[in-house]
Amino acid sequence: MEDADAMSHVLEARGVHLRRGSREILRGVNLRADAGEIVALMGLSGSGKTTMLRCIAGLEARDAGEVTAAKVGMVFQFHYLFEHLSAIDNVTLAPTHVQHVPLADARKRAHALLEQLGVGHRAEALPRELSGGEAQRVAIARALAVDPPLLLLDEPTASLDPARRNDLGDALVQLATSGRALVMTSHDDDFVRDFATRVVVLANGEVVEEGDPQTVLTSPSHPSTKELLQIGRARRVQ
Amino acid sequence: MRLAVFLLVLTALIGAKPLHAQHVMRWGGDAEGGAPFVEADARDPSKLVGFDVEIAELIAKRLGRTPQFLQVQFTSLDQSAKRGDFEIGLSGIEDIPARRQSLAASIPYYEFREVMTVRAGDRDRFRSLDDLKGKRVATLGGTMAYDLLLDAERTHGITAVSYDDDVHPYSDLVLGRVDAVVLDNVLADRAMRRNQGLVTHADALAVGHYIVITAPENTALRDQVDTILRDAMRDGTLESIFKKWRVWNEDQPALYARQLETVAPGTPGTPGTQPLGTPGTVRTVRTSVGAYLPSLLRAAVITLVLSCAAMALAVSLGMMIAIGRVYGDPLSRLILTVYVEVMRGTPVLLQLFVIYYGLAAVIRLPAFIAALLGLGLNYAAYESEIYRSALEAVPRGQLDAARILGFTRLQTLRLIRAPQAFRLALAPMTNDFVALLKDSSLVSMLTVVELTKQTQIFATNIGSWVIPGVLCALLYLAMSLPLGFLARRLEQRWRMPTP
Repeated sequence: MEDADAMSHVLEARGVHLRRGSREILRGVNLRADAGEIVALMGLSGSGKTTMLRCIAGLEARDAGEVTAAKVGMVFQFHYLFEHLSAIDNVTLAPTHVQHVPLADARKRAHALLEQLGVGHRAEALPRELSGGEAQRVAIARALAVDPPLLLLDEPTASLDPARRNDLGDALVQLATSGRALVMTSHDDDFVRDFATRVVVLANGEVVEEGDPQTVLTSPSHPSTKELLQIGRARRVQ
Repeated sequence: MRLAVFLLVLTALIGAKPLHAQHVMRWGGDAEGGAPFVEADARDPSKLVGFDVEIAELIAKRLGRTPQFLQVQFTSLDQSAKRGDFEIGLSGIEDIPARRQSLAASIPYYEFREVMTVRAGDRDRFRSLDDLKGKRVATLGGTMAYDLLLDAERTHGITAVSYDDDVHPYSDLVLGRVDAVVLDNVLADRAMRRNQGLVTHADALAVGHYIVITAPENTALRDQVDTILRDAMRDGTLESIFKKWRVWNEDQPALYARQLETVAPGTPGTPGTQPLGTPGTVRTVRTSVGAYLPSLLRAAVITLVLSCAAMALAVSLGMMIAIGRVYGDPLSRLILTVYVEVMRGTPVLLQLFVIYYGLAAVIRLPAFIAALLGLGLNYAAYESEIYRSALEAVPRGQLDAARILGFTRLQTLRLIRAPQAFRLALAPMTNDFVALLKDSSLVSMLTVVELTKQTQIFATNIGSWVIPGVLCALLYLAMSLPLGFLARRLEQRWRMPTP
């Protein structure tokens, strides 16, 4: 019964452990995500949320536990666009060389993706010519170009001003409604409250609280969550 | 008062210097030339022995002064004499017109014959230059023999090969890299003792003389030297010196007789001496430029072809080393690191010698190939370090992104990492290419006549570095400036963001 349930999840991670030297970064994390969901991983710095994301993407070798994930796309905090290629070439590189899609088709689809994300007019620009928000959208388009059912985003709001944050939120909701599962790390409880469907709070490498963002972020039950919200409030006052 | 003391001290200083200089007589020679000319004493290497050493001591003694030796490279003796580094120079220096034009030269004190040495097996096949059409004939650069061979290139269709020393022409003759060596009988006799299986034909291809040189303005000293040499010819001192060094032969009494009868005692000047700066000299320089420019251009082409080929080798090998060091397993990383450290940590000149002469017993590489390999293998070590650091400079995050997108490691290298690394490497690469262009002059040690070597030959022949030096510099600049320009253009086009 549980197995059949697991099959339907886009992401299913159980008991993930990860050690770096003598430090335990992750201590048995369970995480799942379904199509249509936007799951937010929250936690103080060093809680292990980015490591968990990299673990799901297969960039970190775990010491124990299981991760069953569909094909993954990832958007990095610092975007990491290929600096020698234009925006459109960043998006078409994987489809043409990994999936062997004909270049003309790949370009057509890349244009559509860039349009959809509102950066169609920047297609020929080089990464160094893009603003932070534009670079992020190109990075999202690059991740989506190979059509992954699961999209991972590391601190997507970190470099955005408030107005841009709402545009990004709308774009993410649209991606989720079209049938993808999204998992993102975030410090920004307002953004998570407004756009995430579920929040998972990590502290010292363990899940300490999980549930509907409205509930968890309005009446937190764990001290770490409370601290997180206090820091968020202090930042906003500033 | 203070001024008076100062002037007194100054006068004393000025006065003291010539007094001291009067006592010591600096004489220049090249101890690398070896016996029987000038050589370090096997029992006490701080002492010099040889017939030129004894003649220098004789001259100093009869002038009432103490000889002091100054080591000067053979090919630089003329320039050094002109600069006044030493008062007299002798080291098997040949009597040639260019030298008499630019320096004050003594009467000849020894007569030699230019002779041809071949392998014993070729004794009957190669009897004279007429038999050597299309063959390589070696000699020491900057000598009469070299000029003789350059003429023979036109008249006999031989190929003249110039060496920087008189040892390797004969060892390469034994190895079969050249088919004959033409040098004076003193050097040939010495080589015959050192190498087995060589034969020297006794007939003289030309006759030449050794002389003593002094700075062009120092004709007074030259005249004194002439007198001393004539006295030594008369009283048998020279004969006993040459007999001691086993180079005395029947040619010498005839030479002495000529020297003693042609010039009345006390008359200054020797045949062929000409004052500097006459219209004749200027014309000679101008015609020399015309005569040597084509060969300078040919040498520049050799420099350019050699540098481009060596750089191509260095770039491709350097890339492989860099990739091996970034992606390889620990063992191959270790091997490549050792290669890089050894090639960077030892002189390229040594590497060239090892490849050309050291490996000759195993594989007999043609000079150009050895030069290409030597420079290419050496520069590959430097290039690999540039590429390695450029590869490491591409952000890890991009490699993570590529991995998630599904690129293989090879694809990531080819499509993402290498293109960015290449842009970062471009400026240091250009730098290295310009350095290589100039380092290529080292291969003249392997008998490849490239631009610098040709310039040296040119300068020796006309007895001045000014015009050949300027032409040489212009040709090097003509090769390196366009390259720098091209690289700057590419860099601008590919400008990387500052992180």
